[in-house]
Formats: sequence, C-alpha cells, structure tokens
Amino acid sequence: MKPRVAFFDFASCEGCQLQVVNLEEKILDLIDVVEIVSFREAMKEHSDDYDIAFIEGSIQRPMDEERLKKIRKNAKILVALGACACIGGVNKLRNEWTVDQVKEEVYKDADIEGNDLFDVFPTKAVDEVVDVDFYIPGCPINRNEFVKIVSQIAIGRKPKLPSYPVCVECKKNENICVFELGKFCLGPVTRAGCDAICPSFQDGCEGCRGFLDDPKMNCQKDVLRKYGITLDEMMKRLNMFNYKKGVY
Amino acid sequence: MKALSKENWLEFIDRLISESGKEVIGVKAKGSKFVFAPLEEAKELRLDYDVTILPPKKQLLPPHEELLTYDITKPFEVLSRMDDQEKILVGVHPYDVMAIHQMDEIYLGTHTDDHYDSRRKNTMIIASDILNVSERSFAGSLGTHVVETGFDLLVTDIGNSMIVNIGSEKGEELISKYAVVRNANPKEIEAVDRLREELPGKYRRKLKVDKYQWEKLLSENYEHPIWEENSKKCLTCGSCTLVCPTCFCYDVQDVVNINLKEGQRMRTWDGCLLREFTAVAGGEVFRETVKERYRHRYYRKGMYLPVRNGFVACVGCGRCATQCLPDIADPLEVMNVLASYSMHEKHDMPIPDVKQKGITDDLLIPEAATIVRKERQTDMETLYVLKLDSGKELGHRPGQFVEVSIFGVGEAPISVSSSPGGETFELLVRRIGDLTTKLETLKIGDKVGIRGPFGNGFDVKELEGKDLLFISGGCGLAPTRSLIEYVFEHRSDFGKVTILYGCKEPGAILFNDDLKRWHDQNDTVLETTVDGCPDGQCWDGNIGVITTLFPRIDFDPASTISIIVGPPVMYKFVIKELKGRNVPDENIIVSLERRMKCGVGKCGHCQMNGIYVCLEGPVFKYKDVKDLPEAF
Repeated sequence: MKPRVAFFDFASCEGCQLQVVNLEEKILDLIDVVEIVSFREAMKEHSDDYDIAFIEGSIQRPMDEERLKKIRKNAKILVALGACACIGGVNKLRNEWTVDQVKEEVYKDADIEGNDLFDVFPTKAVDEVVDVDFYIPGCPINRNEFVKIVSQIAIGRKPKLPSYPVCVECKKNENICVFELGKFCLGPVTRAGCDAICPSFQDGCEGCRGFLDDPKMNCQKDVLRKYGITLDEMMKRLNMFNYKKGVY
Repeated sequence: MKALSKENWLEFIDRLISESGKEVIGVKAKGSKFVFAPLEEAKELRLDYDVTILPPKKQLLPPHEELLTYDITKPFEVLSRMDDQEKILVGVHPYDVMAIHQMDEIYLGTHTDDHYDSRRKNTMIIASDILNVSERSFAGSLGTHVVETGFDLLVTDIGNSMIVNIGSEKGEELISKYAVVRNANPKEIEAVDRLREELPGKYRRKLKVDKYQWEKLLSENYEHPIWEENSKKCLTCGSCTLVCPTCFCYDVQDVVNINLKEGQRMRTWDGCLLREFTAVAGGEVFRETVKERYRHRYYRKGMYLPVRNGFVACVGCGRCATQCLPDIADPLEVMNVLASYSMHEKHDMPIPDVKQKGITDDLLIPEAATIVRKERQTDMETLYVLKLDSGKELGHRPGQFVEVSIFGVGEAPISVSSSPGGETFELLVRRIGDLTTKLETLKIGDKVGIRGPFGNGFDVKELEGKDLLFISGGCGLAPTRSLIEYVFEHRSDFGKVTILYGCKEPGAILFNDDLKRWHDQNDTVLETTVDGCPDGQCWDGNIGVITTLFPRIDFDPASTISIIVGPPVMYKFVIKELKGRNVPDENIIVSLERRMKCGVGKCGHCQMNGIYVCLEGPVFKYKDVKDLPEAF
C-alpha cells in the first residue's frame, strides 16, 4: 500500500509547497510511490485519512495550534517543511515586539477586536506545539533534498539532516569564500543540505536552514568582527531566520 | 630537456584539446582565484597561478562519486562502472604532484581501490614549475617546491620559451605526437635551474623545524596547550581537510531514486574535524571534543601517516591556512610554536605489526548472501544465519567482522559470532541504526550484501596451551562466541576456560542456549551477572556490574589469557580488576569498537591515534594499545 500523504499550510508564503509542485516530471515518480490525498496548492480534493503530513509555515494562533494537534493525531509521520515550520523563520522576527505592538504597527485603527483570525501569540515553530518526526529545512526547501528525504521515509529509513555546516558543501563546490569577496556568511554555523546555493552564487549564507546543533557561535562572531562586520549587520543577519530574543 | 616557443606551447595544448581524445583539465582563473577545470582553448591556461582553491585530487577522488548502482526490486543486482575517461591534468605544481603520489600510496598500496585505480591509470600529469608563490604556502621549507618524478611532463615557463622535462614514456609520446620541440640550449637549462634555485627564497613563510622532525616533535607534545587554545577558535567547519591535497578520508551513503527502484552507492569526501566522523550507530563519538579533532588532523599529517607510510602528509600548499577563517589551520604556525616551546613529554604511539589477510576481491562491491535462518534473541537483538550465494565459505577468523549491505539503506559493520568454517555464518545484530532496523524486516530467503571478513581477529595459535578467561559485556558476547565455540571445538588445545558475562538485565542476555551448553563443558566455569532486574523479569543470579563476578573466580594470572569484549565503558574497570589480580599486560587481549566503514584502512573513520582499527584491530594485545591516548 502506498503511504497516503497530505500537505498543510500555516503562516508562510507557501513557497515550499510550490517547490514540491516545481518538481515537475519528478512529481510523477513521486505519485507512483505515495498517494497524495491533500495538497491545496495542487489539487482540490481533500481527505483526513493520511499517513504522512507535511506542515508548511509557523504557528501563530490558538486556532492554528488546535488544527496542528488534530493533524498530529491523524498522521503517523509528521514532517516540518521549510524554515517557517522548522525554526519559525522570518515570522519569528515579530517576536522582538509584543503582540499588541505588532497589531498597532500593522493594523493601526482597523477593526480587528474580537476577531479570532487576529488572535495571535508569539510565533512558534511546529515542534514547539507538536512532536516533529523529520525536518526539511530551508527557505525555500531544496527540491532534491525533499525527494531524498521522502524516498528515505518511503523505504523505511530515518532521514537524517547533515550535522555539518554549509562550508563543507561550499568547499566541495570550489567556491571562492564569500569573506574573500568582501561579503559575509553564516555558512560555518548553518546546517548544510542546500548544496551551499547562496555562496555558490557569491552571496553570504543567511542561515535559513537553521543553525547546527552545536554551532560555534562565539568563533563565528570573532570571525565576523575580524572581517569588520558591524554589530548591527551581524545581529540583523543572525536574527533573520533564527530569531531568538536576546540570544546572540 | 626539450624546448618550445610560447606559440608552439599554446598550439600543443590546443592540439591536445582538439586531437588527443583526452579531456584536458588545466588551471583556469575563477574570479581572482584559480581552479582546475576543463580547458576549451589553450589561452585559458594560467601557469602563472599561485595555488588552486581545490587540489587536483578532485580529478582522481571526486567530491562525489558513484561506486555502484543497484536495483532494489531485484534480488541482488550490482553494477559498478569505472570512470575510464582519459584525462590530462595541465599545470600541476610540484607540491600537488607529491600529494598525488601520496594518494597513490594510500589507494593503490596494500589494497587497491579499483575506482581510484581506473582514474589514475587514465590520467596523465603535465606538471609546471611554480612561477608565483602563494602567500600562505611554505613548500620551500618542505622541499615540495620542486619535483623530480611523478609526472609525465614537467614544463617551466622561462619567459621566451617553455622548457619541457620528460618524465615518462607516455609523456614523450604525447609531446612528440602533438608538439614541435627542439632540444633546450644550455642557457635555457640554466634559466630553469636558476628559477628553481631562487624559488625557496621567494617564500616569505619559513618552517623552523625540518619536516623529518615533526614526528618526534608531535610525539612530545600531545598535551601541548596549543591544541586547547586553537581549538577554542575552531569553527569545526572542516574546510582545512576538504581543501587539503593529502586528506583522503571518505564517507559512503546509499541514495535511492524517487521511484524507489534504482539507487546509487555514493562516495563523498569526509573530514575528521566534523563531529560525526567517529560516531557509531550506538551513539558513541570517539573524538567528542573539538580539541581532539583539531589535534588529530596535525597528528595524522605529521606523525601517524609518516610512521605508517614514510611520508609527512603535508606538502605545504597553504590551502588550509588560506581557507581557515579563524586562521588556526596552518601547519607551519603550529609546528613553529611547538618547535619554540616543546613539552618534551614523550608519547609513543606505535602501530602493531599486524598483517591483514590479503583481500584480493573488489574492495567496495558486496557479494550476495541469503538469510537462511533468523532467531530472535532479545527485544533488541536477532541472530541471522547467512550463506554466501557463491557457495564459498566466509573464511573468517574469530573476532573478524563483515560489512553488511542492504541496498538503499547502506552498510554496517557486524562481527561474526559463529566459529570458522561451514557453509553458513552467523551475525548477531542489535537493532540500533537504519541498516539494522531494516535488516529485521527481512525474511528468510531475502538477500543482503557482504564485504569482508575484515580486521585481524584473534590469533588462536597464540592462545593454545593457555587457560582462557573470557570477559564479555552485552553485545560483546557476539564476537567472543566465535572464539569460545572455536575453543570448544578444539578443547584439548586449550587449558581451563572461564567465562564471565554481564548484561544490563535478564531480558538482554544473549545466546541463552549456548551459555547452558558452555556451562556443562569440562573444566569450564561460567558466571553471569546483570546490572539490575526490572519488575516483571526473573533472575536468581548475581546482580551488579561485571567486576562483581571477580571474587567468585580463581585463575592463575601467569598462565591465563584474558579476553575482554564489551561496551567502551567496561574496559577500564575490568582491566583495573585484572591488574589487581597481578595479570601481566601481555596476558590481556581486548577487542575495540570504532566506526569501521571501509574495512581496508582508507576511509579514516576507525582511526585510533595512528592505528586503523579495521586493519590492525579490532583485536589488540593490551600491551600494544594501553598507552594510546585514544584507545580507552
């Protein structure tokens, strides 16, 4: 029996699901090995009977939490898809401010009082609400990694993300280190798996895949200082995808 | 020496590109840096380069390479294609020529790696003398700035003309077929000599200690403060190893296509600075601290490989120093610090002289074996009885291991737990990683891949006539069982047998039937213990760690050989107990677990200081490894 797969979106741009749609001919292979029963971005049918749930987006509201917990109950395997789901991503930037401050800034005088849709709490990653079995990080996800992880799940393996930094893939691609180009990079503290796509295009890594389990953050900061990066630039970059209040 | 004009040189390269049928890979500019890449025309070639980002190693041992393809829907089908594309590398600097020579020693030495061999045989090297010295290079101090062998042609750009030194017959054929050359005149030869003589003076960075002294210097400075100090700055990004021409370690992983039918077994570069380099499925990481990993890189280059292979595995190219953002990867700086402030605390780390049985088959291709019986031993462990499809015996010694393959999942090292001989062999497998979990789902008649047997195994001849004391913890009974069975099959060759076996809990005891059988043998003592007995399990024996069994047994320390196999934490305590009973070091034998991946001393994962556990181990005489810092 083919595993039944469903996609769900929370607070996100839905770009990661778009990456799945963009698999193009590979998606035909994919539906050979799994049965997609729910995928709003690609089909109109929906079913609550699924084995594997892919969750895109971060969690903002009590109603999201409720929905996510239901999905967790239905699914045998729950996979966080993309930076927002895996680590909160850019959505977490708003946790710098209180919910009231954010509402005031965004909605000003609009009448949102008592409307559940605007009843938000500080942004959470999926695993701050339910247990996550596997992660497919990145903003957006890497299509090849998606295929790799899905095939590993389908064959009965436990997919494991690289435990090493982006530098490993960057070196294998024989890139000129972006520090030598006068730019700066979070590659040394960021989890690999993207094939160092940004440095391969002469751009510094922004950490969208999340930091390593054991990032050498102090060494990274020393390096940034050595290359004359200001504290402000540094904090902006560190917080962009990996915001944690007062941590860096 | 031959000479040719600049025009003729360019014409030669252009003709190689268009007529030779070989892929011509030369040094080209990439932004302000240089790389080895396929040449489309001779004009792209930049012999004035200082150093390339990656060494030409990538042409012989690519960052990613397919070792074999498989079809998991078929019983056991392996296809291994060798890369036999003919290539010419143009512009290889002397230090890189020497690094390739070192790589040849590793990959073509004791056990030939067919994939490397195929690439190497089909690759010609046109070396080039160094015209511009890389800022961080110290090749001048190592004598790797010039080279006399290891190339097919060596060219020197002396301004008006190119001087060619012919290094091989193939090189001579190449130049006579595609180039217009004349004999170099004395002035030109003098210009080449002068260029080479003046080169060392162009290096701004000088080593204060001769490379032949590195081994001694490192042996005295294992606990030097520099390891701790520098490792605090280390990002553990692995860049120093990845750009190094003399780092040869690799990892292997299975990739499955999305159709879940075909897949590839891929080899990729790995590096010892990365934490999981030494991690085994059980979770143990044998070089856990950054300091240990940082130090290992220097010891491997300056001591372990020199002891084993006779060469310092650093050619002074300076790539690591160029790439290291915190700038702590420069061997020159570290060796200079050690030279100026040495600890003089000698650590000898000899490599035991063990000759592994000749492995002649393809090193990387598993052969098919069929599961003929499965026997559940505990919640976590199952015994598999296997038979090679070739009909041949496995041909193992007690204590050796095999690499078990399931295509699409990967490989795992498993020790053989049956005695030698017979059509079948047995593996006791704990469900702990992907492979062992998948293995449990296989049925009788299903096939797996087997490589090996690997490792040295127990030297049974040396044990003959001795009393034997087996001390096993948990899964350690699996390899021990192979030897115990052998001993009982040859009972009269050995003296008294004592077996101590400890487990976490009664439900985790392995080989219950065998334990009973061993217990009933003549002149045999068997004692078992459990660490604890959870509710719902029965146990009327000893409770406590394995050392609590020692007061129950009596043995003659002079005539008894102790054989210890168990989890890493067990050794220290058991050895202390044995030393308390006056057992001499030479009467203690241990079998050690590490991350055995290739089985043939190449991938680097199982290294324990200078020892490859897969080659010189996993069985060791305690006296040989007791002073090794990374052993226990």
